[in-house]
Amino acid sequence: MAGTASALPDELGLVASAHVRYIQSLDTRKDEYEYWLTEHLRLNGLYWGLTALYLLGRPDALPRDKTIDFVLSCQHENGGFGAAPGHDAHMLSTVSAVQILALIDAFDELEARGKGKAQVGKYIAGLQNRQTGTFAGDEWGEEDTRFLYGAFNALSLLGLLDLVDVGRAVDHIVSCANFDGGYGSGPGAESHAAQIFTCVAALAIADRKDLIDKARLGAWLSERQITGGGLNGRPEKKEDVCYSWWVLSSLEMIGKTDWIDKDSLIAFILRCQDPERGGISDRPGDMVDVWHTLFGITGLSLLGYEGLEPVDEVYCLPKSTIARVLGDERF
Amino acid sequence: MSQHGIARSTRVRTEEQKLLEIERIKKYRALEDQVRSRASRTDYTAELFHLTSQLLRLNPEYYTTWNVRRRCLISSLLSKPSPGSSLSRASPSSSPAATPTRPSASSSSSSSTAIPPSPGSPTAGTSGTTAEAGQTKDAEILTSELTFTIPLLIDSPKCYWIWNYRLWILQQIIERLPIAAARQVWEDELGLASKMLNKDRRNFHAWGYRRQVVEKLESAVLEGQSMVEPEFAYTDKMIRTDLSNFSAWHRRSKLIPRLLDERRADDASRRAFLDKELALIREALNVGPEDQSLWYYHQYLVLNLVTTAGRPTIAPALATEDRVTYLTRELVDIKDLLEDYVGVKLIYEALMEYTMYMCQLEERKPDADERAQLIEWLRQLKKLDPMRKGRWEDAERDYGLAEPRFTIT
Repeated sequence: MAGTASALPDELGLVASAHVRYIQSLDTRKDEYEYWLTEHLRLNGLYWGLTALYLLGRPDALPRDKTIDFVLSCQHENGGFGAAPGHDAHMLSTVSAVQILALIDAFDELEARGKGKAQVGKYIAGLQNRQTGTFAGDEWGEEDTRFLYGAFNALSLLGLLDLVDVGRAVDHIVSCANFDGGYGSGPGAESHAAQIFTCVAALAIADRKDLIDKARLGAWLSERQITGGGLNGRPEKKEDVCYSWWVLSSLEMIGKTDWIDKDSLIAFILRCQDPERGGISDRPGDMVDVWHTLFGITGLSLLGYEGLEPVDEVYCLPKSTIARVLGDERF
Repeated sequence: MSQHGIARSTRVRTEEQKLLEIERIKKYRALEDQVRSRASRTDYTAELFHLTSQLLRLNPEYYTTWNVRRRCLISSLLSKPSPGSSLSRASPSSSPAATPTRPSASSSSSSSTAIPPSPGSPTAGTSGTTAEAGQTKDAEILTSELTFTIPLLIDSPKCYWIWNYRLWILQQIIERLPIAAARQVWEDELGLASKMLNKDRRNFHAWGYRRQVVEKLESAVLEGQSMVEPEFAYTDKMIRTDLSNFSAWHRRSKLIPRLLDERRADDASRRAFLDKELALIREALNVGPEDQSLWYYHQYLVLNLVTTAGRPTIAPALATEDRVTYLTRELVDIKDLLEDYVGVKLIYEALMEYTMYMCQLEERKPDADERAQLIEWLRQLKKLDPMRKGRWEDAERDYGLAEPRFTIT
């Protein structure tokens, strides 16, 4: 597996321009079967790619007007967004849509040409389970702390967090906490680094980080770093670049990024690059994709890697975007 | 969602391969077009239903297609719910076809695995043969849906949409079939969860599914009762197969407070239970002190001795001196591990943490001996585990163990 990796020069840096070209190429791969099989992730993919480009300092690398057109073409009458035109509305794609519009400063277009902020807020708020406080992904009712975080993320960007019962949602997160300091997808579920990110970030948005057992969570998160520098998502699992984001952003939110070895994590992420064709994979030598490309880059950004825009650990958007959208409202 | 664990290839596609791929795309898109155009006309018939089968076999991640399939079932394939039932209130908001269309004659989904509802069930047969026939047909269709998703789950065991769809079908079974029949189907789901967990012992989708199935089987909706004993026994089985399975240890930790309550365990039997669990994990640690899973479970047991805040504990009635005795015993045993295992940092980590718990229990600061030990363990940790140097330095500072230095104030 490490064949390709060990062949890379030790001093390989971030191949930024290859990554930009890779992301630009994603929508031109219509002669690949995989392109069509992944249409249910198109809007999410646009968010992943565009955010990566902004962090790479290339906000102009995809055309803004076409981006807006595409995002608005995914919106339904009820305010929610599907992953692509003709796909049903879902929390995950709706959050991606809001994040993209925040990123490219186009909320005014949502008002002018889309269904408007208020309708989006109404769609999201309608997915809250008013008994338990958690959120469903769509009308069919799957519940998960991923959706709760998504709702908080998008609603707070829209300035509409007061549409939902924040207190009850916070109670729900508390009910997902485990003895090891981590959180799962629901009450009773095992701690998992990605679910921890969603719970900790939702608590951050609700200004309730005081509820986190920071010492125990920090210890658990720091143990995710394994030999070779990469991070895994649960005990005794393999490392994966995407945990560079889930684990590291969580550590950042509780002020404990010093509890892991940053240099070896940087080196691990860099080893997962495809230096010729761009993109980042889960582990060295594997196929790249835009999801791992984003989370490799956000990881490097949090690690202070030179030449990258700083990323916001709660919203997974550039800090400059969050400063513009939230301004002084950010506690 | 993304590429996981697929080796990067530098292979360039040949002209022939490119043509084949274009052909494949054409077929896929033609099928997709058919599904979409019918769905956009709200043409939720048996025909569309069968087209979704084909499309989902090619792409089980296509969540909209699962939704179209649900709408076909609701609109035309399944019997219409009786007015006032929970179903008649549950028409999905964005489904344009919430008005049920004609019951389709061609909708019978052929399946040899369909389980007819049990004839003796209390709700069957009260409103004549039409309702009974509807129920039988519903049972056939819904069990056939369960069969349909199994090969997809086996191929894509981490696909959220398949698991969700299956749970939705199971919910339809509760709402449309007599309780006894529905219960039988739900009980069989435990077999599927076990099968999936045998294939991948850590699959959190399968663990979550198991938890949801058990919750429903325990609920009044299925006239259930507690399954905490068999579930606890299941974690036993999984742990004995693979000590490193933290998912099973986690599940165990969640079941224990309920288990003891439901056994109406008195203080003595709670204590005996704690002794048994400690013996189990001690034995495991004796052979695998490098395994984080084991240490996390050990930590869970030890936390039961030291913290009571807001959580149910195994032996709440233990007096402080008993707790101290327990913790001392653990510390002695862990120190013994140091004689057999050299260079295992998790041992030092436990010693350090549990020594601090001891101080917390006795509401005191580390004494001189403990201080000396803590300094030594931290020295080992910094040496053996330099990746987490920052954490050891913070511990040194927080425990007041840092060498006094001149500071500029």
